[in-house]
Amino acid sequence: MKKEIAITAFQCKKCGRIHYPYHDRCLDCKGREFEQIKPLGNARLLTYTVIYNLPWGFDQRFLILGVAEFENKVKAMGQIKVDSIDRLKLGMKVRPSWEPVRVQFGEDVYGLKFEPIGL
Amino acid sequence: MRDVAIIGAGMIPFGRRDENSLMDMLAYASLKALEDAGLGDKSVNAVYVGNMGAGIIQHQTSIASSLVDRLSLLPAAADVVENGPASGGSAVKNGLLAVASGYYDYVLVVGGEKMREITGWRATDFIATMTHPLAEYPYGITLPGMGGMFTRLYMEKYGVTREHLLAVSLKNQEMGALNPYAHVEMTLDREGIFDSPDAIVNNPTAADPLHLYDLCPVSDGAAALVLCPLEMAKKLTKPPVLIAGFGQATDTHTLQERDDPTDLKAVTLAARQAFEMAKLKPGDIDVAELHDAFTILEIAESEHVGFFKKGEGGKAAAAGKTRFGGQIPINVSGGLKARGHPVGATGVAQVVDIVFQLRHELPKNRQVKNARHGLTVNFGGFGNNVISFVLKRVEP
Repeated sequence: MKKEIAITAFQCKKCGRIHYPYHDRCLDCKGREFEQIKPLGNARLLTYTVIYNLPWGFDQRFLILGVAEFENKVKAMGQIKVDSIDRLKLGMKVRPSWEPVRVQFGEDVYGLKFEPIGL
Repeated sequence: MRDVAIIGAGMIPFGRRDENSLMDMLAYASLKALEDAGLGDKSVNAVYVGNMGAGIIQHQTSIASSLVDRLSLLPAAADVVENGPASGGSAVKNGLLAVASGYYDYVLVVGGEKMREITGWRATDFIATMTHPLAEYPYGITLPGMGGMFTRLYMEKYGVTREHLLAVSLKNQEMGALNPYAHVEMTLDREGIFDSPDAIVNNPTAADPLHLYDLCPVSDGAAALVLCPLEMAKKLTKPPVLIAGFGQATDTHTLQERDDPTDLKAVTLAARQAFEMAKLKPGDIDVAELHDAFTILEIAESEHVGFFKKGEGGKAAAAGKTRFGGQIPINVSGGLKARGHPVGATGVAQVVDIVFQLRHELPKNRQVKNARHGLTVNFGGFGNNVISFVLKRVEP
């Protein structure tokens, strides 16, 4: 079953700036009241890379990562589900999902994954 | 506030130092700086140790207390300063403020890191612990990965090319080959890493679009300084170097929360503060040590500190303007790229290299002629904590 994206972003009630991750005070106006919002819809790929020197805990040859902006302007990092970075372009649409992104202490850790749309 | 001078500088060769413990390296660099200062058996009042990973890598904490004991500097005050890859710069800052305030007269600042005793897999993870624990770290992002994403945006916005990055890499390796303290004392061959069909084998993608030779090595090493009030320094034999300006600024933890992720605001602010305090301009600087953990950073920082307009740094590097003998020689030491990047040592090593330059004591093939003013930029996290110093030669 498809899992809900378990990310909460925080929109400042005073100036409207969207934050992810959490801050105790708004980065723009120092406001302290936030509305909790969920990332909505598909996303647009803002930047990406493929890394070959992986950190401890990743038993694979390479990892493709990027930052994307959702339709409601929430921005977040995630792993990209694609076999080659050559298939990616800045600004392309990607579909988000919530899936295991690594294993720690024998347990799956869930996080964002993005899959390019229309490939 | 008192003017503060550097009266002693020392460094040990960076590289893989299996024969030394972290404490050995900190002690050796400290002794070199203390001897250079010519203080004899006179003790220092305080010791600041820049280090990021002893607790994680060596499973050893309170290393400043260990160091003063080992060096017989008791009962000097002793503190560890941890600020990621800017730990060294932060340690220098703490020493500077302690002397400037009038509280201490003689301060030892030492930065060191021993990173080669763990696997590359573990070292990469250790460095990645500075990323955001929820929004970044779980995904497997690394600092080179951050560098790759930043490079892609910088290329898109400013037209930086791989040829520009290559110019930085070749230049810094060429200078590192002349530096006996450098981790990688070898020049690179353009054909082998860029032009030939084998280049992709010799210089594979590390964090696209960055390649292996766009990245600094993982190093062991230590560097140290002795500071005191300028008025006291004038009585010593070696020409003192004035810490004429200092600046530090922070930025968002995650790249994604910056309005323009290509804008390294903390670099701009830290350098601006340092220039204002020193009453100097970027055009007054004769030699600079910029934090080139990745080649793109040297280019971006050369623009953000004001040496070049935004978008011009890559072209300037390719045109040779940042070479030894060029308009503004950058990373004559070889930079992080060749001298190496033992994270806690780097910010101190940059200052040590500029001190050598301003005292005019380097061999001709590395000494910037008549160097009077130098700049350093020590870049913590991915630009979320940056420290800059402007140093000035004090004429006898």
